[in-house]
Parts: sequence; structure tokens; C-alpha cells
Amino acid sequence: MKRGGLQGYIIKRLIYAALIAFGVVTITFILLRLGPTSPADKYLANMSARTQDPAQVVTAVEARYGLDKPLYQQYGNYLINLARGDWGWSFSTSMPVIKLIQTHWVYSFQLILLSMLFAASLGLLIGVYSAIKQYTRIDYLATFFSFIGISIPNFWLGIMLILVFSVQLGWFKTYYDTGLPMFSLANLKALILPVITLGTGMMAGYTRYARSATLDNLGKDFVRTARAKGLPERVVIGKHVFRNAILPIITIIMFSLSGIVFGGAYLTEIIFGIPGLGRISFNAIFASDYPVVVTITLIGTLVVLLTNLATDIVYTWLDPRIRYD
Amino acid sequence: MRYRMMRQTSRKVGGKRNLIFIGTLLVLGLIVLLDIYLVDRILEPMGYFYLFFVAVAVLYGVYPLHANRRLTRYYWERTKRHRLSVLGLAFIILLVAVALIGPLLTQDPTRVNFDEKNVPPVGFTIQQSIYDLDTDKFLVREIPGTYQHPLGTDDKGRDLLAMLVSGARVSLQVGLLATLIAILIGTIMGVVSAYFGGWVDQVLMRFTDIMMTFPFFILLVFIIFIFGPSLVFIILVIGLTGWTGAARLVRSEALSLRTREFVMASRSLGASDARIVFRHLIPNVLSSVIVIATLSIPGVILAEAALSFIGLGDPTVTSWGMILNAGQRSLDTAWWVAVEPGILLFLTVLAFNFLGDGIRDAFDPRSQL
Repeated sequence: MKRGGLQGYIIKRLIYAALIAFGVVTITFILLRLGPTSPADKYLANMSARTQDPAQVVTAVEARYGLDKPLYQQYGNYLINLARGDWGWSFSTSMPVIKLIQTHWVYSFQLILLSMLFAASLGLLIGVYSAIKQYTRIDYLATFFSFIGISIPNFWLGIMLILVFSVQLGWFKTYYDTGLPMFSLANLKALILPVITLGTGMMAGYTRYARSATLDNLGKDFVRTARAKGLPERVVIGKHVFRNAILPIITIIMFSLSGIVFGGAYLTEIIFGIPGLGRISFNAIFASDYPVVVTITLIGTLVVLLTNLATDIVYTWLDPRIRYD
Repeated sequence: MRYRMMRQTSRKVGGKRNLIFIGTLLVLGLIVLLDIYLVDRILEPMGYFYLFFVAVAVLYGVYPLHANRRLTRYYWERTKRHRLSVLGLAFIILLVAVALIGPLLTQDPTRVNFDEKNVPPVGFTIQQSIYDLDTDKFLVREIPGTYQHPLGTDDKGRDLLAMLVSGARVSLQVGLLATLIAILIGTIMGVVSAYFGGWVDQVLMRFTDIMMTFPFFILLVFIIFIFGPSLVFIILVIGLTGWTGAARLVRSEALSLRTREFVMASRSLGASDARIVFRHLIPNVLSSVIVIATLSIPGVILAEAALSFIGLGDPTVTSWGMILNAGQRSLDTAWWVAVEPGILLFLTVLAFNFLGDGIRDAFDPRSQL
């Protein structure tokens, strides 16, 4: 059976992504059940502290979480609830988890989006430029700084930025002000330090990839042809080199979402007190608020899965040479 | 002549060594079992990791390098041309020395002394307002750095030098041991997957895909949240989750090796699967494995630091992340508490990155140095 071209490929990728999502959800469930304390225990500790009648709470909690049912049934319910958007009740904030996430995801989103824009645009620019000027002082400088950028722990960079610009110079607030309207200059200003914190490491990485990808293409025959035709250097670089170099870079950018961006955003939110999903999860950890931690782990993972899927599909569209079978 | 030399070399590095290694593992496993079922402890959990690490390092690091002195010299000559990587190596050796000997020489990193809180490093002086019980007023006092606490103290009066030395030990423990576990799992997964192919490959690689989808740090936070923090457990978890990159790399290398003539020849001479895997595939992927190991140590060290920074580290040991956390809380009164562990963390990561780059260039025969 041979399905036609791109459509078949996309369907295949979708099925594959669904399978992986299923695997991720299952592993999360197994980890939860393997844990030394069940969600009920932590919930119990929290509840009995309020009601002061643990015996009564035990049965209530077990019934509520379905922990008295056999394991396969628990697993089934877990899947069904996930699919239905019934992600449990966050007792530390007294609201449904889905509501909590709906009100807070946007803070993470704006931070990640701005940081990626910052990192990708600057990284590409510096990388391509330093490749064109290979072995000049500018190139060495860019390489040196990208090395530093990759090695600097981003949470420490954040703290140092706060120390210098907020504590010593007093240019920014030491904490993110949640009262600011989303689309305002003040909000943008409040996000400058977090974006630099999260973006620097990424930018350094992208610079290196952009540099090497550009160098790869600069030596190709079609570039020599383009130059031989007498095309201006601007067109040679912009059209022939850059377009070919951007493909691997896009993949790198998208795939870096999983490790660097999510881990980094988590820490950045904690340092600057931005009430995004990372900060929510952090607070939930210390309140032993199980449903919140589980849900945010799953959301992070599924977002990564979706971006990887999107990357694959965008890639085939950007590069017609790729065969999708 | 050349052939004889090669045969000697291969005799030196192969064969018995794997047996010795497996034997060591069995002995260690036995001790663990004894440890679990006997009442009195033979070793601290960390002790097993150390023995394991030493076994691997001697059998697969020191011994082959010693047996192939000419190759070792060649690699060293090539690595040496990378100035920064030599600098990185020097820093790492220094750090290891400090981590090994340092705790014996410094003060107790956990000793709290509120009379000496927020003392700046030597050469700095800060103004501190102190509540005076007698006059019922806040007095502004100048506090100079003292040689008793050369790097200052934190807001509980703990000696920062001692804390940083203790942190160096923690970071290196986690970085080296967790990477070792991850690399071992990754290498085995990759080689097995490539060599056997078919459904074995499918299953292993799909599992790798799933593991890769989890954002590493968030998975780490999740697992530590469920199972609770302890240093041994953190090392295990990082090791058990961080092998995916190595598995992919080793698999792709082993795939191309599998079809090479010398493997074919060996198989047609009747070599067993185990012999081909241990004698031909693993030694040939080893150089890439060493490179990826060196380059993944910084990530592991950072992960541990980040974990303890957000309060999910082992509460019984002082680590750099923990000091950073304390430092962020006292940024406006004691800036050095946040600055010092960060600089060390940064230099350590930089050193491993430099060394890794140097080794990669040295091991890659195509690269012109």
C-alpha cells in the first residue's frame, strides 16, 4: 500500500506522534504509582490538617481519586479524565487545574515567544555575519562570546542581571509586576531581563549553528556559480546561502524547545517571579499539589511533541528536496 | 610488522578486560545484596558509585591509554594544540584536587554563626545596619572582610569557602557519576539497537523517542518531586534519563560500522555476536562516546545545580545551587553569596566545554589542527 506523498507522510507522523503521546502519558502514570507516597497521602496530609479527622478523610480521598479501584481501572480513568480536560483539583490554590493553567499559560507563552524571537534573530544575524567575515576579529569575538553564552548558567545570569540592573542601578524592578497589562510598553520593559536571561544561552547556540551552516553553504558550487554570474554579494548571501542555511537552523531552533527553552523558562520564571506555568509548578511542588505538577509536566511534554511534529512538516514544505516516505 | 603491532594492541585492550569488568560488576552487585539483607552497612551508597566509577575509569580509560602509549601520545599532542582545552583540563584537575582534599582543610560548611553573618570577602568592606539592644537603635557599622573567612560568609554566618569546596565535591560527583551511568546505558542501547536491527531496533528507538520528548529538566523535577531528593537518587535519575543523545549517536556510528569489511570478515571467520559487539563495535565508537561524555558533563552539573537552586536538591549536602538560592535571597545585603558559586559553576561548565571541544578535534582524524 502506498499512500500519496506529503499527505500520507503527515498522517504517518500524526499517528506516530499520538503513539508517543500515549507513551509519555503512560510513563507519567507509572512514575506516579511507583512513587513512595501516593497523591492521596499528600492530599490527605493537607486535608487532615484542616479538618482534623484523618479517618474520615481517608475514604473520601480514596474514593475521590479512585484509589480503591484496581490498577487497570485507575489507568483507564486517568486517560479518560486527561482527554476530557478534567485534570483534577488544585488544593493549594483552590481551583480546578485547568482553570489555573488557563489563567497562567500566557505568562510562560510571552516569555518563551519573546526569548525565542530575541535569540533567533540575533543569533542568526551574528552567526551569518561572522561566517561571512570568517577568521576576522569580529568572527573570533562572536565565537568567543557564543562560547561564554553557552557555558553561562542561565539562572545565575538572571541573578546577576537582577544584582546589577535592579539592585545596584535600580533600572528595573527585582520582581515581575503581574498587574501590568499584557500589551504595554511597561510589560515589555519588565520582560527585558527575563528575556535576556532565557535568550542568551539559546542565542549563543544558534550563533554557532548559523555560522557553521552558512560556512557549509559558502563553499558550495552554486555559490561560486552565483558569484561568477556577477550577482551582487547581497543577493548571493541573502538568496543562495541564507535560504539553504536556514533549514538546519530552524530544526535546531524547534528542537531546542524541549531541553533548553522549557528548563530555562522554568528557572527564569522562578527567579523573576513571573507567574507562568513553571512558577505555578514550583509553588505546587512545595505545597505537594500533585494534580498541578502532573498536568504541567504533561503539558510541557505534549507541547514539545507538537512542535517536533510541526517542525517535521514545516521542514518538508521548506525543502522540496526532502522525500517523505 | 604493522600487522603484528595491531594484533598486540588488540590483545592488550580486548578480551580479558571485559571479563574483569563484568566480574567487578558481579562483586559489586553481591555487596549491594549483602548490604540490603545484612543489618550493618558495608558501604555508603556513594561508595558503590565510586568503586563502579574507578572500575570503569581504570579498565576502559587508564589501562587502554597505558597499553597504547603511542596512540595516547598522539592524542595528547593533538589535544595540546587546543590551548583552551589544556586550560580546561588544568582547571578540572585543580577542581578535582580541591574536591578531594579541600573538605579536610576547610571549616565545617554547615556551622551556623549569627555573630559573623554577611561578612564580605577579603578586600571588600560593606556597611551593615545592626540593631543595638542597649541603645534601642539601628547602628550602621562598617564590616571588613577577614582572613578567617577569605570568601566571606552568608546570611547565617557559614563560611563560604567551605561551602564552595563542599559544592565542588557535589557537582563533580553528580557530573561524573551520572554521566558515566548515562553513557553506559546509551552505548549499550545504541550498539544493541544497531547490531541487531529489526524489531529490537524499533522497540529501543521508539522508547528513546519517548524519553527524548520529555523536556529533560521538567522530567527531572517531576521524578524528584515524586520520589524525594537525595544525592544518590539524583545521580541515578539523571543517569537513567540522560542517555538518549548518546544512544542515538552510538547507534548511527555502529550502523555504519556494522557493514564495514572488518566486521564482515570477523563474522565470516565465525565470530560470535558478543565478540563482534565487544571487540569491534564498542572500541570503535569509544572515541565518539568519550567526546559526548565530556560534552554532556556540563549539562548534568547544571541540572543538579538548577535542582538544588529550586530547592529540590539533597538537603543534607551543601551544593552550589543551594548557595545560589541563599544568595538570591540576600542580593541586596550580601552580593558575594550569589556571585561566587555562579562563577565557579560557570568556569566548571566552560572548562568541560573547552576540554570536550579539544578532545573532539583530537579524535577526529579529518580535522586539521
